[in-house]
Amino acid sequence: MPAVSKGDGMRGLAVFISDIRNCKSKEAEIKRINKELANIRSKFKGDKALDGYSKKKYVCKLLFIFLLGHDIDFGHMEAVNLLSSNKYTEKQIGYLFISVLVNSNSELIRLINNAIKNDLSSRNPTFMCLALHCIANVGSREMAEAFAGEIPRILVAGDTMDSVKQSAALCLLRLYKTSPDLVLMGEWTSRVVHLLNDQHMGVVTAAISLITCLSQKNPDEFKTCVSLAVSRLSRIVSSASTDLQDYTYYFVPAPWLSCKLLRLLQCYPPPEDGAVKGRLVECLETILNKAQEPPKSKKVQHSNAKNAILFEAISLIIHYDSEPNLLVRACNQLGQFLQHRETNLRYLALESMCTLASSEFSHEAVKTHIETVINALKTERDVSVRQRAADLLYAMCDRSNAKQIVAEMLSYLETADYSIREEMVLKVAILAEKYAVDYSWYVDTILNLIRIAGDYVSEEVWYRVIQIVINRDDVQGYAAKTVFEALQAPACHENMVKVGGYILGEFGNLIAGDPRSSPLVQFNLLHSKFHLCSVPTRALLLSAYIKFINLFPETKSTIQEVLRSDSQIRNSDVELQQRAVEYLKLSSIASTDVLATVLEEMPPFPERESSILAKLKKKKGPGAVSVNELEEGKREGGELNGGGERGGDNSAIAASNASTPSPSADLLGLRTGLPVSAAPPTAGSLLVDVFSEAGVNDDGFLRDLEPPTESSDSLLAEGPGDSDSTPPPPPSVVSEEPAPPLPESDELLNKFVCKNNGVLFENQLLQIGIKSEYRQNLGRMYLFYGNKTSVQFVTFTTTVTCPGELQSHLNVQAKPVEPLIEGGAQVQQVINIESLTDFFEAPLLNIKFRYGGALQNLTLKLPVTINKFFQPTEMASHDFFQRWKQLSQPQQEAQKIFKANHGMDTEVLKAKLLGLGMALLENVDPNPENFVCAGVIQSKAQQVGSLLRLEPNAQAQSGEQMYRLTVRSSKDTVSKRLCELLAEQF
Amino acid sequence: MRMRFEKFCSHYHAMSFGKYFTSRFILRDGRDFLSRYQMHFLLLFSRQGKLRLQKWFLPLPERERKKIIRDMSTMVLARKPRTCNFLHWRDLKIVYKRYASLYFCCGLENQDNELLALEILHRYVELLDKYFGNVCELDIIFNFEKAYFILDEFLMGGEIQETSKQSIVKSIEASDMLQETMEEYMNKPAF
Repeated sequence: MPAVSKGDGMRGLAVFISDIRNCKSKEAEIKRINKELANIRSKFKGDKALDGYSKKKYVCKLLFIFLLGHDIDFGHMEAVNLLSSNKYTEKQIGYLFISVLVNSNSELIRLINNAIKNDLSSRNPTFMCLALHCIANVGSREMAEAFAGEIPRILVAGDTMDSVKQSAALCLLRLYKTSPDLVLMGEWTSRVVHLLNDQHMGVVTAAISLITCLSQKNPDEFKTCVSLAVSRLSRIVSSASTDLQDYTYYFVPAPWLSCKLLRLLQCYPPPEDGAVKGRLVECLETILNKAQEPPKSKKVQHSNAKNAILFEAISLIIHYDSEPNLLVRACNQLGQFLQHRETNLRYLALESMCTLASSEFSHEAVKTHIETVINALKTERDVSVRQRAADLLYAMCDRSNAKQIVAEMLSYLETADYSIREEMVLKVAILAEKYAVDYSWYVDTILNLIRIAGDYVSEEVWYRVIQIVINRDDVQGYAAKTVFEALQAPACHENMVKVGGYILGEFGNLIAGDPRSSPLVQFNLLHSKFHLCSVPTRALLLSAYIKFINLFPETKSTIQEVLRSDSQIRNSDVELQQRAVEYLKLSSIASTDVLATVLEEMPPFPERESSILAKLKKKKGPGAVSVNELEEGKREGGELNGGGERGGDNSAIAASNASTPSPSADLLGLRTGLPVSAAPPTAGSLLVDVFSEAGVNDDGFLRDLEPPTESSDSLLAEGPGDSDSTPPPPPSVVSEEPAPPLPESDELLNKFVCKNNGVLFENQLLQIGIKSEYRQNLGRMYLFYGNKTSVQFVTFTTTVTCPGELQSHLNVQAKPVEPLIEGGAQVQQVINIESLTDFFEAPLLNIKFRYGGALQNLTLKLPVTINKFFQPTEMASHDFFQRWKQLSQPQQEAQKIFKANHGMDTEVLKAKLLGLGMALLENVDPNPENFVCAGVIQSKAQQVGSLLRLEPNAQAQSGEQMYRLTVRSSKDTVSKRLCELLAEQF
Repeated sequence: MRMRFEKFCSHYHAMSFGKYFTSRFILRDGRDFLSRYQMHFLLLFSRQGKLRLQKWFLPLPERERKKIIRDMSTMVLARKPRTCNFLHWRDLKIVYKRYASLYFCCGLENQDNELLALEILHRYVELLDKYFGNVCELDIIFNFEKAYFILDEFLMGGEIQETSKQSIVKSIEASDMLQETMEEYMNKPAF
């Protein structure tokens, strides 16, 4: 055979190739090529018609030149001519040229398609295969249009040769991938599935690729393939190593076909048919067992083929994710590979374990290998293996091992290969954020990251740390202190300067109390880095300086001097110059008030998906991290929120309020609304250790600088007698008038006539829960303000007012409320109420806060109604009617007849009447259907006795359920008011 | 002046989200729903980085092809001995193996099986060896078209068509039988 292969030769081609090989330089090669191109061009253009052999030879030379990397812009027509030659080699070279060099020249495609059509209908299997190969190689839409109908027929025709079937199947697959709309499903599809049963292993191997692809798109139409695939797989797996003759590869029966079958099964959920499933599980177990058997050959091909099937089987097991037993076995098998001497296997085991780590059944089993994986990260000689180890550490990370893993990854970063540093940095940043138990750890980790691998810290990472510091006031002081310390290193990365500039500009005040980090020291430290930094960083620093002027007036002159210097105010960079000029003017013209408003602390950032996570997804390509991350997040979110139904009764509210703050501090924004205690005790302790004398509360310096404002609104804000203990609300809030009561506030009020506890109000941001108790003429109400978002509410203020006359009827004192509510947290406010005399209106509760910079302002009616001060009075039938008669003046009685709004369940009615606060008197009314109650309304000035009679009428004339309610009181207005209130309740 | 600070903060907001959402080169454009198992390309290059064979199973612009060829040869040739045979590159898995002076290198989609791909390379080497008889780089240089024909018998559209060595060799023999006799060609002029 070599004689044939070497000798069919085109001698001219061989000569040309050796000429090229003998060229000493690139220039010589180009010269030789140009000479050849000129020669071929003249031959093609010449008058003398070329014979097939010459054409073939020249086309082949052109092909060779093209494959050397040179452009070819002629010869296509000659190649197309070769397609219709009846000599096989000429046709073959023609097709090869077209396959390698075709462009979408439509004129040419038409000619090519014509030649292909002829060959497809030639019934010569060799020609047919050539034509099919050409279609598959070019795979253009024009070809799909021309042949997508024909090829399925060839594929399933009874008389088609096996080799043609193989080509047709893969050719169709190629067209289907290019133009799925052109390949129409039809009668042939069911016959294609049965190719899985074909006797010829080659046909099955080719057809299964097509079937897999079609099943992915049309799973229902092809689902019969599952049982066929399982039985085929089972036959292969159980066959002896020699049964399949040439389809056995190094003692492994049909490895390619086995893998393809296992992949086809990955398009479907586990088989429903028990027998099929049993057979499949048996196959998978056999494959796992075989991995433990001694190898039948020492050759690497044997173990590769065997392990290829094993890895594919593990993929299927992971895909099913329903057989804990198999998952754990798979994990153990991979664990063995982690220590295998073959680098390839260690690599693949690490890679495969990444997917296992995301299964709940095997996550724990994967975690047991942490030491091996860390060791791999440290000791593997091959960077791609180390990278897989880093990936796996990332995948197996959870709250229990985050600190260890992050520490290992950080220390690896110091020596990591440059090509993977950026990705490593992203991963460390994400893990630190996702599993941050305390934010000081998070800040430390990120600053370390910048220190170790500053060049690889992308913008996303340092933006993120700033977002988090801004949004979480419990870490701001610590961040300022740490970044201040980090900046003291003689050489620190520009990214550190950026973070430092931003954080000190916002929160430098939190550490300014320490003489070692006094305002001027901070400024000098920042400014010492200024000249080494790029323009964007300098621009940021200039903004930090102007913020300093606001935070620390004592630095004003120093900073103005800097801004005034020629290097700033005449800087050649427009942006820097503009900033310097504007900031200088701002600092000299604006009053302290204006400055404080303009340079106010940054509002919290809206919570979104972490930008870092997005970047990592981008880097790794779709599907690499996304789904697992997000779903995991959702799952955890569910668990955390599931415990306390937010809309529920007061006990749930109280419980979540009292519960210790959850250690989970989710920064990625994946989870919403986890309970965190409102007043973070950690904020203080973090700061106290070094800066105990500095202001711990977040409104330290900025607030002190504001001139005390005597605004009329702020008087409204305080409850009587409490005004001096409440800090004046920030001006931006005070300037807003309280909103008018919400339209639904009356309705909300009515909900609380018969109950004392529950949710008063809820919107997308805020939930207000109420718990209240009354004794005599006194009441105490607890309001629970829950932040339903993951962003802080700042400058949160509430005011309770008694409009008009009510002031003289009711005394309401509201204790101050925390001005800041963390995302997901709840704060409590106590309100003391004293009834001076009977009253009719309800006090108003106004709530104002800033959410993401926007002012929220809403007013509700506080559910304090006169019946709250009822003292139940038990009495016998006789007494009741006697008193009833005593209150017989017409104005003492109020009566209402109204339709039932809530049905007439006796138990419900009783519960409501008890909730009203009166005594429900049994066996008093002669009609057992009726209800009667008695009670005394307590107030400081007087006591008002009240009697009530409720008469349900289940079948009134109109056919509707009606009530008649009669109230008699010693005071006429009270009867009227009670009647009004109660008519809404039944 | 307020504007400046709005700008200042919107700068942070805008920069931190969305800037990186510009699309980048994706090999699988428009084929997302389909199988992720296909081989994208197969390259043969020498230790000096000379390309000996290139087979593209997906249409790619010439510029991209050149870029891939350059990236592959630099990456693979830079690998130290006794490291593993797999790499990650963009969204693809790269599997390569060195046979004597030639590197065989292919790009697979993300979910494909690396070990099996390694054996595809090996089987191709076996086929070349069987056809040429103790194949060496020179055989592939001088008979490059044969190398392509053999590959076409083995793979099609990046999928394996036939795994049996006997079948493939038989069908190449059959096509060789269709060729004209040696003498016929020897009589033709060289140019």
